[in-house]
Amino acid sequence: MTLIKMVLTASCLWATAVQADPPPGYPFVGFDAGLKAAHESNKPIFLYFGRYGCAWCDHTNKKTFSDAELKKLYSDNYVLVYVDAESGRRLTLPSGERITEAELGVRLQAFATPLFVYLTPQGDKIMQIPGFKTVQDFRDFDRYVRGGYYKQKTLLQFLDGKS
Amino acid sequence: MRAAALLFAVVAGTAHAGWQWSTPLTVNTVRGARIFPHMESANRRNVAVSGTTVGVVWEDNRSGSTQCYLATKPAAAASFQPEIRLSQAECYEPVVIALDGGRFVAAWEEAGKVHARLLPGGAAVTLSNAGAGQVTLAAGAGKLYAAWAEQAGRFRHIVVSRLEVRAGTLQAAPAQPIEAAPPTDEQGWPALAVAGDGSVTVAWEDRRDHHTVPLTSHSSDGRNFVAPVRLSDLRKGGGQGSALGLGAGTGAMRPTLTAWGAQGVVAIWLDKRDFLSGYDVYAAFDPGTRRFGPNVKVQDSFGDNMAQWHAQIVGGADGRLLALWDDARDGTPDVWLANWDGAAFGDNVAVPAAAGPGVQSDPAATLDAAGMLHVVWLEQDEQAGTRVRYARAEWK
Repeated sequence: MTLIKMVLTASCLWATAVQADPPPGYPFVGFDAGLKAAHESNKPIFLYFGRYGCAWCDHTNKKTFSDAELKKLYSDNYVLVYVDAESGRRLTLPSGERITEAELGVRLQAFATPLFVYLTPQGDKIMQIPGFKTVQDFRDFDRYVRGGYYKQKTLLQFLDGKS
Repeated sequence: MRAAALLFAVVAGTAHAGWQWSTPLTVNTVRGARIFPHMESANRRNVAVSGTTVGVVWEDNRSGSTQCYLATKPAAAASFQPEIRLSQAECYEPVVIALDGGRFVAAWEEAGKVHARLLPGGAAVTLSNAGAGQVTLAAGAGKLYAAWAEQAGRFRHIVVSRLEVRAGTLQAAPAQPIEAAPPTDEQGWPALAVAGDGSVTVAWEDRRDHHTVPLTSHSSDGRNFVAPVRLSDLRKGGGQGSALGLGAGTGAMRPTLTAWGAQGVVAIWLDKRDFLSGYDVYAAFDPGTRRFGPNVKVQDSFGDNMAQWHAQIVGGADGRLLALWDDARDGTPDVWLANWDGAAFGDNVAVPAAAGPGVQSDPAATLDAAGMLHVVWLEQDEQAGTRVRYARAEWK
């Protein structure tokens, strides 16, 4: 009986995890923990602004973030932060202001999810990209961010000139 | 032709009544670039009017930690009195409602539990047993209720408590969960309304269907609540993605409620059913049957392609009804309102002192007994610090 309960509980937890949110297997953390980790590691932040039950987030998770090489690329080189677009959980901005996760969407002027935000290790925004994106898109974004091209070019200029 | 059209517009404009606004006032006395006032309470209950006294609550971090504050202003005064601090430990999302005779009840989350206090005077009482937050208050028909989200196992669920003032002391009945069964996913951000018949309606965000949906329930006695139903008229499992097996459904959040007319209740919330334009504001009406009808879009077509935020519905016993929110359709966030004309929400009108360059956001409002509209909002200034602003309007 206990075993059955454990299996059922595990199933419920798994069902919740599948419905919600960041792609499975990636080391996503909360905003405050991510900002601290980025300071310590000097890695840029990849912020996934998703919504519970969001179809395009689900699609991106299944089609794009299931790619093993992309998973390694982003897990190794970014601090991965997940923020829930409708949550009342609180986070602390680099300015010291404490707001809810939902309020971060107001500040980002988010109009769709998923929204992917790249931040410096200090928490300054580099760029934000809304909607479904492919594996190649995320590889391009990675080169733009970690290559430092964002300091001289817009993303469109960079993508036009990429070889 | 253009001159004729302009003349028609002027004549039509003068022929129609509208809100006539007072000079705006600043409420908070302590400001600075690193001080961040917030007004993000459940049901957006940040302003109330008792008799002729206006009360405003908010949270800010001036003391080094986030604390909750109340400022009041007698109608005849030219400015708000210096604010008083409501909390001792870290405090969030305060709300305030009016009793009679210049008295208020405020409630807030402090150190992870919810508290309430009768003002002026009065001592704070702890309302919650377990970890809790997102408290709100409502009064009407001689009854006073609080609702909040309280930890119940893995998730929070919504509970309601009847409050009473006896011999100048605030007393709370044991909190009743809306549902006896433990929650299967997160619940939060309750809104309350006490209708003219004394029944209490609750709406809240609920994730049991694996996406965020406002649910509602009601009770005639504040203890026994009917089974919750959706405020949204989108069916369970609806939305573009679900047909493809993607996602559980569209998002909808932050419901607010108001009592309206003799026995009605009206709800509005932020709704992402049109997933490309951010959250829109939707409303539903309960004319007194304790059943909400079809959903009605609130913002006009000029706001359709914009994300709306911080929406609140405000109603009166005389049948007046309006919705407020902020959006950036003119380039930067401004506070907008739409009046209910009996058949639809009208053209969106900016609150004059809460529009223009810069960021004006987070409106909260109430109607007083005389039908005057009282609005507070945040006016952001990165150098001088954010101001809590207030203005009053009369319908003429």
